[in-house]
Amino acid sequence: MTAPALPRSNAGTGLSLLVVAAVIVGAAYALAGLGQTASLPVNLFPFLIVIFGLMALAYVAMRRLAPNAEPTLVPIVALLNGLGYVVIARLNKDLAANQAMWTAIGVAAFVATLVLVRRAADLERYRYLLMVAGIFLLLAPLMPGIGSTKNGARLWLEVGPFSLQPGELAKIALAIFFASYLVERRELLAPGSLPTDALAARARAIGPLVGAWALSIIVMVAEKDLGSSTLFFALFVAMLWVAAGGYLWPLLGLSMFSIGSVIAWSSFGHVQERVRIWIDPWSKASSDGFQLVQAAFAFAAGGVVGTGLARGTPQKIPAVATDLVFAAVGEELGLVGAAAVIAAFALIVVIGLRIAQRAERPFEQLLATGLTTIVGVQSFLIIGGVTRLLPLTGITLPFVSYGGSSIIANWILIALLLRISSGDRLERPVRMASRRAR
Amino acid sequence: MTGRIQRLGLILGVGFCLLLVALTRLQVVDAAKLTSDPRNTRGLTAAFSADRGLIQTADGVVLAKSVPSNDEFKRQRQYPEGALFAPVTGYLSFTFGADGAERAFNKDLVGGTLTAGDRTLRDLFNGNSKKTEDVTLTINAAVQRVAASSLGNRKGAVVAIDPTTGAILAMVNFPTFDPNPLAAHTQDNVRNAYNALSNDPAHPLLPRGYRESYAPGSTFKVVTSSAAFDRAPELTTKNYPTLTQLPLPRSGGRSLRNFGGERCGGVITDLLRVSCNTGFAQMGLDMGGDDLSAEAQAFGFDNKPPFDLPAAATSRFPDANEFKRNEPGVAFSAIGQQNVSATPLQMALVAAAIANDGVIMTPHVLGSVRDDRGNAVRTYDAKQWRKATSPETAAAVKAMMIEVAASGTATRARVSGVTVAAKTGTAQTGTGSAHAWLIAFAPAEAPKVAVAVIVESQPGVGEATGGRIAAPIASDVMAAALKK
Repeated sequence: MTAPALPRSNAGTGLSLLVVAAVIVGAAYALAGLGQTASLPVNLFPFLIVIFGLMALAYVAMRRLAPNAEPTLVPIVALLNGLGYVVIARLNKDLAANQAMWTAIGVAAFVATLVLVRRAADLERYRYLLMVAGIFLLLAPLMPGIGSTKNGARLWLEVGPFSLQPGELAKIALAIFFASYLVERRELLAPGSLPTDALAARARAIGPLVGAWALSIIVMVAEKDLGSSTLFFALFVAMLWVAAGGYLWPLLGLSMFSIGSVIAWSSFGHVQERVRIWIDPWSKASSDGFQLVQAAFAFAAGGVVGTGLARGTPQKIPAVATDLVFAAVGEELGLVGAAAVIAAFALIVVIGLRIAQRAERPFEQLLATGLTTIVGVQSFLIIGGVTRLLPLTGITLPFVSYGGSSIIANWILIALLLRISSGDRLERPVRMASRRAR
Repeated sequence: MTGRIQRLGLILGVGFCLLLVALTRLQVVDAAKLTSDPRNTRGLTAAFSADRGLIQTADGVVLAKSVPSNDEFKRQRQYPEGALFAPVTGYLSFTFGADGAERAFNKDLVGGTLTAGDRTLRDLFNGNSKKTEDVTLTINAAVQRVAASSLGNRKGAVVAIDPTTGAILAMVNFPTFDPNPLAAHTQDNVRNAYNALSNDPAHPLLPRGYRESYAPGSTFKVVTSSAAFDRAPELTTKNYPTLTQLPLPRSGGRSLRNFGGERCGGVITDLLRVSCNTGFAQMGLDMGGDDLSAEAQAFGFDNKPPFDLPAAATSRFPDANEFKRNEPGVAFSAIGQQNVSATPLQMALVAAAIANDGVIMTPHVLGSVRDDRGNAVRTYDAKQWRKATSPETAAAVKAMMIEVAASGTATRARVSGVTVAAKTGTAQTGTGSAHAWLIAFAPAEAPKVAVAVIVESQPGVGEATGGRIAAPIASDVMAAALKK
């Protein structure tokens, strides 16, 4: 398990990237202000300063608390978060102030995670606690009284004036549990050499897989949340395959997911509806297909270079600030801007998987893989849904969509990735020094 | 494990590439098709959101303006004067399109008639690739206000025109409508407002001045008189017998009666002064349908007026062939009944033709178009529409119309200090009610204003009805127009 000889980024690169991100976001904000006739910049300028301050704070906290961490991740996240903020500010001034607050809480959670989790390996100790917490969070919206249904999906918790999506945090808790569990069991799960009692042992090892499958079906059926259940299952299969290897697990996982999908499709009207409007939104352009049709019109209106910020009409798309925010990006920033956002997510995946490959211990490797998979698959699912590559499922675009739970959970996720990369960098010079000493 | 991590990256990478393919399909390959899809309202929204110039009166009263709004349309169209000018401005609605000046001068208002050279580099950078233009109408707000208040809450219309240029000075009707609710951005409210207006049996949305036709009644006798001078001069000296009713030829013993059993007769001047139906009916029969029809067409009947507001109605006079099958019809048509219909605008043009030596100038509401820096983009140049009659005939008919105002049925149309020429009309609409008409111009020596007034469905059928009800309105409007 040797890391490929990729060039490593240094702190200077990270800082200059952060400045580039700030310049891009600031320029986007200024352009949005020019595009709108109303006095957008005057009203919301303080919030933009707050966003800049938060991104700088996140970077400084990373340099202090995880000095050897990969420095390029925070600037990319800052770019996405900042760009998302500008788009949301342009769409809805009331949401902009909230989004600034959520970003502040997200960055605070980021710093807190770096403070509390000094070594990634510490997390292994809490794996069963995290598993229980994860399952609890995933199923919490089903509880009467605090659970609430929005847009047909029951995945919200009403806490005072705020509504939270606990599923966003559950993914992280379960990724940690899976990483720890799979690292321990991977000898049993690996194809090839079978001990004598292999069959029984394998059956036992399969248990969690079936459990995960059942959980994702429950989420799909009871909460009607196709996006989270797909993401959750993809995360589990990816981690299982990376841990154990072979083609058995991915094939088994895929076929189980297919069976689950077919059952869900044949038993539930809302699943059939999702598939139908994916294949042909046009025949229901003014009812169920309205959202997708409007999103398609938005992308077409944007063309290659976009209408320019605040110069399109993305308000025509339902849920444009949350799940369909990418359509607003496509309309106003065009193919160029939308492709840049996709590229930013691709970069997070590349950097995240590089952190995974560099990590010293299998647990950290697998955890980094899982966390990266969450960001990659989630952005793929929602962008694919909005562009009609996949059926549309209601999940957020990490860092860009409006929404507290998503922002907070993804900042925590980045903090964990950085903690893993920091650990790997901490050890390396020591080892090299000892080698030199020899 | 690192190998599989790398392969996982590859799989996700393929996924991201597929996203770029899907994105390219939407934003490049299918973009044109999606943009032109009839369900795509973005183009409409953009057009509706575009900045739009002012519409104002000749005396500088703002009738329509666009102010910033914080919704998807970015701008709200406002009509500060409400219903008063609606017959001219019309409305601009996202759901129901545009009417009136908003529709007629849309291109100017959105800056579309400016040439590329008028746009500066700075405008391109500001995104103001199109500058708006302000439209100034010929309408005079003071005259419009007087016309509306004088008409009051009586169904009808008033049109005032400058006979020498064709410029419309006032055009009002009752009932009318407030264009503001139609320009609102909450589509349900707009729909409700529009449906209420269009289902109203009184038709408040109808610009009666130029889009509704009525039997012109005795005001048409001005055209019949002109026809006599132009085409059958012998009739202008003929002494018509004093009658209460005129037996009609080939009608199976039917006859045409004067209102209220009045007795009248004499030469043409006497006939016009008291508006003698039997006399003019006989004159029509004497002259024949060919001449009467030709004269009506010379005055603009059966021709769509080249008016610059949209969808002006064409006034109708029966074709000469129609009279061949129905000879008594000539008698009725000569007094503006039966198959004759005219818009108030058309009857104002009849008065204007007499006032302007027989020449009808093209009617218009457009004064000038200016860019956002106040430079004139274009100015309306007065032009002739048609020659209705000769200057000599016009002078003769004018003299008779002066008599009508001085001592005939239209004495209430007089304006103190100036000579008024006028003709009343009472068009029967059924038993016991009639449309009260008046056409007039002043000052008779050098006319500056011609008017047509109609008040619909007034009780009392008699020659006095037009003079009693419509004449005072005409008097007020002419006085206001001469004061401006």
